[in-house]
Amino acid sequence: MPDIVVCVKQTVDVYQLKPHPETLAPQLSQAQWKNSDFDLNAVEEAVRIKEKSGGKVVVVSVGPEVKQLLVRECLAMGADEAYILSDPSLAQADGAATAKALAAVIKTASPKWDIILCGEASLDQNAYQTGPRLAEIFNVPHVSYVNKLEVGDRVLKAWRAVEDGVEVVSCSLPAVVTVGLEINTPRLPSLLMIRAAQKKPLKELSLNDVGLTKDDLMPRAETLEVKALKTERRRQVFEGKVEELAEKLAERIIAHMGGRR
Amino acid sequence: MKVLVAGEKPEQVITTANYAKSLNPAQVVAAAFKPFTENELAMLGGAGVEKLIHIPEKYLASGAAASAAALAELVKKLDPALVLIYASKKGVEICGRLAQRLDAAYASEAFAVEKGEKGFVAKRLVLGGGYVATVSLNSKPALASVKVSASETSQGMKPAVEEFDPGIDAPAVEVLETIKPEKTRVDLEKASLIVSVGRGFKKKEDLSLAEELAKLIGAEIGCSRPISGDLKWLEEERHIGLSGKRVRPNLYIALGISGQVQHLVGMRDSKTVIAVNIDPNAPMATESDYYFVADLYKILPLTIEILKKKLGS
Repeated sequence: MPDIVVCVKQTVDVYQLKPHPETLAPQLSQAQWKNSDFDLNAVEEAVRIKEKSGGKVVVVSVGPEVKQLLVRECLAMGADEAYILSDPSLAQADGAATAKALAAVIKTASPKWDIILCGEASLDQNAYQTGPRLAEIFNVPHVSYVNKLEVGDRVLKAWRAVEDGVEVVSCSLPAVVTVGLEINTPRLPSLLMIRAAQKKPLKELSLNDVGLTKDDLMPRAETLEVKALKTERRRQVFEGKVEELAEKLAERIIAHMGGRR
Repeated sequence: MKVLVAGEKPEQVITTANYAKSLNPAQVVAAAFKPFTENELAMLGGAGVEKLIHIPEKYLASGAAASAAALAELVKKLDPALVLIYASKKGVEICGRLAQRLDAAYASEAFAVEKGEKGFVAKRLVLGGGYVATVSLNSKPALASVKVSASETSQGMKPAVEEFDPGIDAPAVEVLETIKPEKTRVDLEKASLIVSVGRGFKKKEDLSLAEELAKLIGAEIGCSRPISGDLKWLEEERHIGLSGKRVRPNLYIALGISGQVQHLVGMRDSKTVIAVNIDPNAPMATESDYYFVADLYKILPLTIEILKKKLGS
């Protein structure tokens, strides 16, 4: 009966994000927020393990302003309880600060865990740091890039995708596991599950509650600037009758395919 | 200034060392877990490396924790200003643990590292790959995993090789088996022509249209993430995008790909981009040189016929 902690980050919806036309900075204030994609795969996997082997699923989320509504989505998917830590200093957080905050919440809220599950990277930062850093903090093994997971008695077996193929690995629990998109399809909670989630425990913790100060969360790596990439393309658009378009398409392909035949 | 470069495989160490040259370091030391051939040693020398430190392969075989622990001991001994590790998947997870262990400022998957006013500055893609973040790394050592491509390599004086076994324990992960991909490997990164497919195709069988076009012009087949990920119509190694391959062909033909930022980051360095999509407002339109608003199922058979005639096959 494993006790599972799932770390869920709330990020801006990068798919909807538009850069400022002049400064090229992302217009974050207009952006929608969502649970980071891979983290929902982590929640789904945790709930599946619970459905099979029992145990408990605890969701942990830290950030500058964690939204309860989004945390409730994870509870509706089947997690049992949630702990959140909101502090403005986390707006500048790097991987070190995020891991420190998460570890402090986990130590306070669910100190006797067997597995920590995370998305392999976040939608916004794409840094691949949280899982390995948490494992280092707790001095336990970690397995990243997992697309299939089996949890046994004090041991786990995982299939992880690396460049050379799929590595089938095993390690003892407690352990940290990071997952990607391929491991599962996160469930869409039913209305009944959403209603049930309203009654599940969701606790707001303060820095003080978890024994941290603002200084502890100072980033080691400091972001100086974020700017949209600009590509220079001809942007010629062709519309019209498909027979004519096919002719033009063939011409363009031949013109740019180089000398080979 | 001393720079330590490392990587999972010899060619990755060489690539990273060649990249480190751009920083004009006083000394470059390389660390590796795998043995180097004589030729690889000469390439490492050509990249300006004076010394190669060989860490026993058992550390790499025991997983990221042991690899990071061994590298941390080496960093403490050498005291470099900057540590660059090639950003293979294993390299990135090792670097995450190493940064935590050393309490060092760390940028992951950086595509550039420069000297800043204070310390080093790394550039990396964020927010789905459509944005560049400039990150200041003010610690000694500063740490970055680097996703850089191989530049011109040359042979040079072979560096001295030293063994380093810190005799340190760390939580282990056991590899039971490695399942190699079944198909022959494709090297999309080196392809000069790529035909790439996306969700505009409705069934797996329909990809034969793209395959016929690719065969006709001698292109490799690539795809966006849903095709290899959710749908599994093609192998993962054909996935072009943020978490897949980054390609730079002379010609990139995007068929039925809407152009989510995560895909664009993988093909942005293509010299010429031709796209076919039914939606005139898809993001791919502004990322293309030539954008054809058309139904794939109608335009492709016609185009293939015309190409067959014109190319004489």
